[in-house]
Amino acid sequence: MKNNNIFKKLVLQTIGHEKRQTYMIPIFSILLSLIAGAVVIALLGKNPFYAYYNLLQGSGLAPKESYAGYKGMITDFMSFLDALTPMLFASLSVLIALKAGLFNIGVSGQMLAAGFTATILVGYSELTAVLAKPAVIVIGFAVGALVGALVGYLKHKFNINEVVSTIMFNYIIQYVASFFINTFFVDPVSRQSKSVGAASRLTLVDVVIGNYKMNIPLGILVAVVGIVITAIIINKTTLGFEIKAVGSSLKAAQYAGIQVGRTRVLAMMLSGGFAGLAGVSYYLGYYASIQPRVLTNTGFDAIAVALLGNSSPVGILFSSFLITVISKGSTYMSSASGVQAEIASAITGVILLFSACGSFVKYKADRWKEEQ
Amino acid sequence: MNTIIIDGLSFALPLFIMAIGGIYCERSGITNLAIEGLQGFGAFCGALFAYSISGMFPGNSPIPFYLAMVFAFLGGMMFSLIHALLCIKFKANQVISGVVINILAMALTEFLVKQINASVFGAASNKFVLGVSARITVPVLSKIPVLGAVFTNLYPFEFVIVLIAFVAWFILYKTRFGLHLRACGDNPHAVDAAGIKVGKVRLIAVMASGAFSGLGGICFAYSISANFSSNIYSGYGYLAIAALIFGNWKILPTLGACLLFGFARSAGYELVKILEMPSSYQDLVMILPYVLTLFMLIFFSKKNHSPKALGEIYDKGAR
Repeated sequence: MKNNNIFKKLVLQTIGHEKRQTYMIPIFSILLSLIAGAVVIALLGKNPFYAYYNLLQGSGLAPKESYAGYKGMITDFMSFLDALTPMLFASLSVLIALKAGLFNIGVSGQMLAAGFTATILVGYSELTAVLAKPAVIVIGFAVGALVGALVGYLKHKFNINEVVSTIMFNYIIQYVASFFINTFFVDPVSRQSKSVGAASRLTLVDVVIGNYKMNIPLGILVAVVGIVITAIIINKTTLGFEIKAVGSSLKAAQYAGIQVGRTRVLAMMLSGGFAGLAGVSYYLGYYASIQPRVLTNTGFDAIAVALLGNSSPVGILFSSFLITVISKGSTYMSSASGVQAEIASAITGVILLFSACGSFVKYKADRWKEEQ
Repeated sequence: MNTIIIDGLSFALPLFIMAIGGIYCERSGITNLAIEGLQGFGAFCGALFAYSISGMFPGNSPIPFYLAMVFAFLGGMMFSLIHALLCIKFKANQVISGVVINILAMALTEFLVKQINASVFGAASNKFVLGVSARITVPVLSKIPVLGAVFTNLYPFEFVIVLIAFVAWFILYKTRFGLHLRACGDNPHAVDAAGIKVGKVRLIAVMASGAFSGLGGICFAYSISANFSSNIYSGYGYLAIAALIFGNWKILPTLGACLLFGFARSAGYELVKILEMPSSYQDLVMILPYVLTLFMLIFFSKKNHSPKALGEIYDKGAR
């Protein structure tokens, strides 16, 4: 009994404070998952600290022992930012839908739809970089928003659960894109779509600065602006208020005279738009081609990122940073310490599992506080 | 025509058993988006077991396959306990819990397959090769014109599924427990007032769902893909969910929906073959079940009624 009390006190000390709960619970889930991952790595006979350090090295956050010519920490770090960009957009997309009480599982599909359309319209055209790059961004946003709006409309008009419809769209988009790529745009050597022109890519490839070669992601600037805009929309505008109202209580929102259908469609449109931006920064930035019949995991990992970031735009900045370190660094970890790279996504899954229990931890902590 | 029926059935029946699991879960009031992950994890357990004992039996022995089915059943059930824990005990959001379980199952099985292959079997591979299960043709019945195809070239699992499906139907609609289960999804407070533990009924329902999903998963692993790899996550679980929504959370209409998906798929493949189109046209065929689902939902979802307390966290104190 005594022991139990000490445990309770410890929990209350750390996560009892309501203000601190918002970030203490995610931090706890991350710590627990990292410990769980470390135990597994140790059981496999590898050094978990070295493996985790490899993750940082692979992401350009810590120096590697040796580098090839023209490569350095900055090269890895820029490549890390390049991978971070789609993740930021995708989690913004999940976040906006979540605020409206909608669950956008179709981010990956919307990404592919936007990336594919931008690839064939701009990527294969002869436009100059000044025109092509903005065009890619506009098309990406528009296509994503269109798919998102359709999902919102189906929900509003026909009462089709957005979870089901986005999943259906994921498959439809995946197979349709795959059909067109395999029929018209396939590169016979790589079995992927033909690479897009450098002018349309949102990442500047192999730029030499000083003694280092690196890829500079332009999209990261757009992503940061996107985070600021999202924060403003959600916290300062009428639309944001309506979205939050619909998300927290449908009946109250209806009673207050908010047009629920319109708000939902708008929220899904914004959500899809950001997913589209994630798509173009992924398929015309980090990569330059599309692999047929494959949906990226980014859209699904983004759900984890958004939950972990406590559905706040600033929180997302931190959580997507962490998740990208884990996924980006895993390749180097696997080659340096011989741990299977797949353990990275397993750790992400466990983080997600713990953060899903967050509301229960909160509830328990509140109960204990009342007892005292 | 025969191939359409044979292939359609062997696709529809595993889907159907997963959908029945989903019906159990959702009729008890727990939203289940986790079917995709549960079927994958169940199939993983079954495949791992079958793969590790396969050396003890001659090449075409059916015993590993039957044992794989048992272990897939148990594995899916074990994994579904996470969903039960999160949704019933921890009162987490059921949609989030489902998505989390899917992601976790995918990541975990991919990692484990590679790790186990590397450290136990000493091979750098990301799959367990299983082979395709043997097929059975029912002697007399298969001679009936047209309908005979239903009894031709059957996988043994199809009999098992039909048997389990019948038992599941009987329990859900004809027994006292089935009544309690359905009541939990519509009015849990009334069930509680009658002195029955809502949490316990829901726990059993979630476990049934996990077990049936695992069974469905291993059937796909032994028929379509002939191995266990990440290919198992190609949306069967989501299709099962679509089928049960379409079937209005009732078992018999859901069977209809599953058969529709199965036949649409096999007929599409047959069409590509007959018209001698290049294989990339298969991708267009693959979208058929999904497009069909969307359209049917547009027409039917207004008439559909989900269980009244579906997705709501049961709180004894709430009134």
